[in-house]
Amino acid sequence: MKLPKLPVYGPSLWGLGGSLLLLGGVAPWIPVFPLIILVNLLIFAALAYSLNLITGLTGYVNFGHVVFMAVGAYSLGYSVETLRWHPLGGVALGALTALVVSLGIGAVTLRFRGVYFAIASLVTPLAGLNIVLVLPALDDGQGIVLNPAFEPLSWFYTIWIIIAAEVGLTYWITHGRLGYGIRAIKSDEDAAKSLGVNAPHLKLFLFALSGLFAGAAGGVYAWTTSGVFPYAAFDLTFSLLMLAMIVIGGMGTLLGPMIGAVIVNLLSRFFLAIFIGTQFIIIGLVVIVIALFIPEGIVGTLRKYVPELRRILE
Amino acid sequence: MPEPTLLVTDLAFGLLLGCVFAVIAHGLNLIWGVAKVVNVAHGEFIMLGAYGAYFLNLWFGFNPLLSAPVDAAIGLGVGVLFYFGFLHRELRGKESIGLQSEMVTLVSTFGLALLIGNLALLLFSPNFVGIPWSPGFVRVGFLQLPLGALYVGVASVAIIALSHVFLSRTYLGNAIRAYSQDIPATQLMGINPTSVAAIGTALGFSITMAGGALLSVWLPTGIHPTMAALYAPISFVIVVLGGPGKMWGSLVGGISLAVIIDVGQAFVGLSLATAIAFLTLIPILLFRPEGILR
Amino acid sequence: MAQPIEPETGAPSAPKTGRGKLIAIVIAVLLLVAVAAVAVYYLTQPTGPTGTIKVGFTIALTGRYTVEGTNSLNGIKTAANWINTHGGITVQGKVYNLSLDYYDDQSVNTNVVSLYPQIIEQDGSQFLLAPYSTALTTAAAQFADQYNRVMMSHGGAADTIWTGTTRRNLVEVLSPASVYLKGAVDWIHTNHPTDQIAVLHENDAFSTLASDRAIAYAQSLGMSVVYNQSYPTGATDLSPQLNAAMAAGADDLLGGGHFNDGLLIMNQLKTIWTPKFVSLLVAVTEPSFQAQLQATANNVTGPSQWESSVSYGPTLAQSLGLPWYGPTPAEFTQLYGTLNAGASPSYHSAEAGGALFVLAQAIAQANSLNTTDVRAALGNMHVMNFFGQFQIASSGLQIAHSMILVQWQAGTLKVVYPADVAQASVQYPYTGS
Repeated sequence: MKLPKLPVYGPSLWGLGGSLLLLGGVAPWIPVFPLIILVNLLIFAALAYSLNLITGLTGYVNFGHVVFMAVGAYSLGYSVETLRWHPLGGVALGALTALVVSLGIGAVTLRFRGVYFAIASLVTPLAGLNIVLVLPALDDGQGIVLNPAFEPLSWFYTIWIIIAAEVGLTYWITHGRLGYGIRAIKSDEDAAKSLGVNAPHLKLFLFALSGLFAGAAGGVYAWTTSGVFPYAAFDLTFSLLMLAMIVIGGMGTLLGPMIGAVIVNLLSRFFLAIFIGTQFIIIGLVVIVIALFIPEGIVGTLRKYVPELRRILE
Repeated sequence: MPEPTLLVTDLAFGLLLGCVFAVIAHGLNLIWGVAKVVNVAHGEFIMLGAYGAYFLNLWFGFNPLLSAPVDAAIGLGVGVLFYFGFLHRELRGKESIGLQSEMVTLVSTFGLALLIGNLALLLFSPNFVGIPWSPGFVRVGFLQLPLGALYVGVASVAIIALSHVFLSRTYLGNAIRAYSQDIPATQLMGINPTSVAAIGTALGFSITMAGGALLSVWLPTGIHPTMAALYAPISFVIVVLGGPGKMWGSLVGGISLAVIIDVGQAFVGLSLATAIAFLTLIPILLFRPEGILR
Repeated sequence: MAQPIEPETGAPSAPKTGRGKLIAIVIAVLLLVAVAAVAVYYLTQPTGPTGTIKVGFTIALTGRYTVEGTNSLNGIKTAANWINTHGGITVQGKVYNLSLDYYDDQSVNTNVVSLYPQIIEQDGSQFLLAPYSTALTTAAAQFADQYNRVMMSHGGAADTIWTGTTRRNLVEVLSPASVYLKGAVDWIHTNHPTDQIAVLHENDAFSTLASDRAIAYAQSLGMSVVYNQSYPTGATDLSPQLNAAMAAGADDLLGGGHFNDGLLIMNQLKTIWTPKFVSLLVAVTEPSFQAQLQATANNVTGPSQWESSVSYGPTLAQSLGLPWYGPTPAEFTQLYGTLNAGASPSYHSAEAGGALFVLAQAIAQANSLNTTDVRAALGNMHVMNFFGQFQIASSGLQIAHSMILVQWQAGTLKVVYPADVAQASVQYPYTGS
């Protein structure tokens, strides 16, 4: 009798997946304080993974990623406050709404190349913010104050599911046939098209996925901060942080967003007590150095220069 | 339906504001046309130009019109530094800029924006500052136009016109234009591409910082490190509207944007008018990506 | 499943491996150092000595609210200084000093969420202050109930924080946003009821709420609001709006938002319109408002939570039958100046400092450090301190503190309304000089 052949997954996936499973298992026993720090970290990691799906994989720099997060946050705010849903429904609605919005935005902006796409992406959160500010249904400028129960464990498992899905999808996309097409687009889109890669569909697919997950993470963000306020939700700083995370970690890699999120998010706590006011100066310097000298980020550079790690790290 | 006199006033202010918008975008236009790269930190240099005018006013009593040339001189030096720091490695020896280089400059200038913006927050006072310069008003019919805005509007157009003359009539200017069109041909003509690109970049930065100084007249209370986050997107949209590399495009784009905002807000409020103004980017990119100007 | 695709960029040849290993080792060491540093930092946090009451909070030292946050922090420090040098707080016969445990939240609510558990669980704070601004206060409020600690709100004024939630441990010290412009509207209604009102406000949470409530209140009094528009934060040209307001036939202008847009409005009004009455949020109370505008600032009014010239004092308290605690407004101003190189306290400093005094008074009155007792004391108290009156509704919403209306008159800021604390009467109309 022939047993079915087990699929082979890379060590990085085992490592990351294993850690996530472990965390998920012990979560009920983690005390509230480290749990909340973990939830905060995972929200940013989820956002970084979502940006990685578009910017990391295709090289289309999306400065306006915060729009999807804001859409997700407002979906949760609206569904919890006006529709009286449970926040989990809000998160799901956030993912769905962000998916629709990203399809709409992507269908238009992904036709633009490189720099033009980047500029169009920069403009979307500004336009989005100004539109939301005049919508009475979303409490216009006042923001939405929510009254959800304090449930760090629910927050944790929700964001955990989101990240697990993102990690799995990132791995699946980069290792399947899609992966070839994506790498082709990243190095030379026109050549890729002539080879039969359906670039527009592929880009839109990734962009929509990135929007979906950012929306879900945005919903969790609104849940944990028990409110949605326009200037806070559309804050470009989120886009900047996400971009910095994947640049530092390594764009397009599996471990990059997590490493970047850990470095930026955990280390940033120093800047709240000791080196007040210098966090973004340091991040800016690091991004410049990395972009100019080691553009593949930590994971990419390690892979490039340490051949032994190439089987392990991705 | 707002009153006609109101709309005419809005139009007039929009035209004046548009000229200054044009000059702050003009430097970006130049660099984009020459080096084909976009400086994400563009807003920060506008902000530095405005602060330059502020400090020159504080220490020496210069009004913004006087500060603009000083800022321009500083901008030349800054531009050269920027070229060799960020662009040289990517552009050197290449015939055209590739996607990889585009991304490198986008990301590295993004880091630069973070660095400069936050250094400014740390070093300058967190309060909003302004330059108390108000040379009075002029009445044209029922319109009451601030002279300060009029002066900087004229100065802005003059700068753009001068740059046009420079690029089309002088040897160096033609060399820059040649570089922006065909680098190997430029080399064949005996022109050093590095010098040309560096000078073009320096010129772009110098116009940007001078523009920042002129913009400060419209910001009696609005000079602050975070202003970069507003004027960078405005500049990008203007350059796209007018057409990257087209010198008069800055004026067309700048005036269009300002008029949409100022006249539009009479109908739909300032927030929505701003959103619409930004979103005009999309149809232009879709249907006329080379810009409004032919 | 396929093996991972190798990168197109050619594999580096052997000589680079040595350097590559070096890079990898350096990065690994850096990461290890970072982790170790974080661990050491957290493990060596000192626990507070007994005999002190630890009050924990986050405050916006950088970011959007850096000015207001820093002023608030200085006010809190001034209050703590006064309390500790004037007998501390006595509980069950034992004297306690206050110690402050604070962090920069960078004006971002995600930091608030990750810092308060640390402040409570790790640093052991017994009482809490809220951060600055409505958005951040909303994010912090959940921890008050979750960990059962009293939290004093000094910088979050939106009523919805209390009316929209079931949380009860968050106590408001300052007047809620909904009453900010009420004084101005009341005065106009009493003295010039036929005036037509224009409202032009920034569309952030606080200004929108304050302005919308003012409009509703004015209309409920039968007054006519002929213009109502908002503008985004950072707007640089409001001349179209001011032109439109004038064209609509308005006599008075209310609104604004924060300091720089308030200044912008005044600067642009110079050439466009001279309303008969102007009342702007926040901007008017800053000394630099008059310094920058000179004569243009004269007769401009603005609502304020507090001014150093306000006449709250032990005598007024006694006449109202209210217990008094703490320094007088003049004493607070002087102490603030001593501790801050001669600076004068803004109302953010006062509302934050006032929160600490109320807390101290409540702890003393409850004679206990227990949250339930102190919260109950706060619910029962009706007192006065240098910041004004304090009394809360069952939700925690402030109901007794009144906004004052201030007006620049001949270069000096005077309190002009309400009558019982006013130093001068309202000058009308505004003339632009």
